[in-house]
Amino acid sequence: MSFLKRKPQPAAPAGAPAPSNSVQALAQGAVIVQRHAKEKFYSLLFLAPALIFLILTNIYPLLYSLRLSFFNWNMTIPLSKPRYVGLENYLALPNDPILVTSLERTLVFVISAVAIEFILGLGLALLVTSNAKAMGVIRTGFLAPMMMTPVVAGVLWRTIYHPQYGVTNWLFWLVGLPSQAWLGDPNQALPAVIAVEIWQQLPVATFILAAGIQSLPADLYKAAAVDGSSRWQAFRYITLPLLKPVIIVLLLLRIMDAFKIFDIVYMLTYGGPGHQTEVLSMYIYKTGLKFFQVGQAAAMSWVFLIFIFLISLYFIRQLLRE
Amino acid sequence: MLISYRIRRILASVALYALIALVLIIIVFPLYWLVVTSIKVDVDNAHFPPIFVPNRLTFDNYALVLSTENASKFWLNSIFTALATTLLTCIIGSMAAYALAKTYLAQKLRQGLILWILVIRIFPPVTTAIPYYIIIKNLGLSDTRFSLILTYVSYGLPFVIWLMLGFFQDLPADIEKAAIVDGCSMWQRFAQVVLPLALPGLTVTAIFAFIASWNEFLYASILTSYQAKTLPVVISGYMSDKYLRWGEMSALGTMMIVPVMAFSAFTQKYLVRGLTFGAVKG
Repeated sequence: MSFLKRKPQPAAPAGAPAPSNSVQALAQGAVIVQRHAKEKFYSLLFLAPALIFLILTNIYPLLYSLRLSFFNWNMTIPLSKPRYVGLENYLALPNDPILVTSLERTLVFVISAVAIEFILGLGLALLVTSNAKAMGVIRTGFLAPMMMTPVVAGVLWRTIYHPQYGVTNWLFWLVGLPSQAWLGDPNQALPAVIAVEIWQQLPVATFILAAGIQSLPADLYKAAAVDGSSRWQAFRYITLPLLKPVIIVLLLLRIMDAFKIFDIVYMLTYGGPGHQTEVLSMYIYKTGLKFFQVGQAAAMSWVFLIFIFLISLYFIRQLLRE
Repeated sequence: MLISYRIRRILASVALYALIALVLIIIVFPLYWLVVTSIKVDVDNAHFPPIFVPNRLTFDNYALVLSTENASKFWLNSIFTALATTLLTCIIGSMAAYALAKTYLAQKLRQGLILWILVIRIFPPVTTAIPYYIIIKNLGLSDTRFSLILTYVSYGLPFVIWLMLGFFQDLPADIEKAAIVDGCSMWQRFAQVVLPLALPGLTVTAIFAFIASWNEFLYASILTSYQAKTLPVVISGYMSDKYLRWGEMSALGTMMIVPVMAFSAFTQKYLVRGLTFGAVKG
């Protein structure tokens, strides 16, 4: 909605007398049209740097990677040339047992991390929004993990999980449980990584949900209280439905970010032990940039990309429907 | 009956505070642990049960980290890359956001661009890591700050555009109308009227952009080897399978998060907005 369309007058010089005849009015109209064309041109000029930049640094690399995905190229062999193999890289994907494991590990990671963050975050958000003091304390305390450099968080949690001197084993020792290998144990490594992810991202979920809850109209709760509804009923029939758009935004962002997880896994386990924590980002990284099977890695990237795109499309649709 | 009700209420609030305290301890403890590890002597770090309140303090780890070869170079790399990225994304990004916030372009075009920009942000960075690595190598730009800035700006732009779009749309239209009457060109309106008004939003956007490139690890680890190495890569280098250099890693880690913590304190007001791409206005 342009204010230019609603009020064309400002085009006339300030203090000019109102147009007395139709010729003058026509001339004024021409000025507006001219100005509008000029603004349109300027708008494109304003957009140009960002668009050109994104085309060169995003679209072009993605297309480059698409082309690469049809070639077989082992970059570790000196002077080796990419060899065209058609769809071979893609057709080989379902037969790659590590990729299947990796996909499964990624889904376990994303679903459990985001689900726990959401449930705990909702509980905490309800708690802090009911109490201003609690809100203030949480606000400052919670900033630390979410802003912390992921690589530093990885280092830090490696010391906490250390099998000999770590704090987690000290807690186990206090209550008389045997010490654990944590990141070195095939069964505990993924949950341990998920715990770090939750530690970093729980504040995000809490803050977003708390902001959503605070923006809900207080009148509704008063009316509900007058009608004798319980707290649970107010939550179930007022808070949850009204919070739905915020919940969708939160889930979209958290799921997409959880799929991107790389730094923490790199620092904590480097995908190990075995392939137990080898999430997709880690596996693609290793295939392409450690073993330099760039064609295969590019094919995986594209499948990963389309997969992520479809999931986000679902959430964006839900959001637009709201 | 009244007394028991009051007791119940007191108990409930005690339980509430206890719960919040517990959550806070779990969330904040690791940060304390990082700092305390960095000022403990090595013997105290390799100790069971862990020493939570050390009685021997040392700053040797800090001295060691800062005096390693080329430490100042890596710090400068990190600072320069983050600052340049912030500056570029904010300038290019807010210009684009302004054009998208105004209605001179066709509705369909604007909406299409806005959605496309969102989709770019959703893609996992690893999907562009491989082409970046090869293209940067072919261009002869490997191990330069320039290559990092290129990739960081590309990754940061969508975020800045979306966030600034929201801030621009929030500004009252009347102010710009007055500027039009005064005969300001679009550039003048942007630079002298709109941007100063959106300054609080721009500041927060800049802080988020700075933190993102300061923290970035994946691209830095594949595009740099020595000359342009940034701090996250340095930290990852302290780690090997055989042993952990806890003290040094924690010291560098602590120093690295100081600017982040200091800056993030300024984001409080628009924090949720920044976190949600402007979708939720907290």
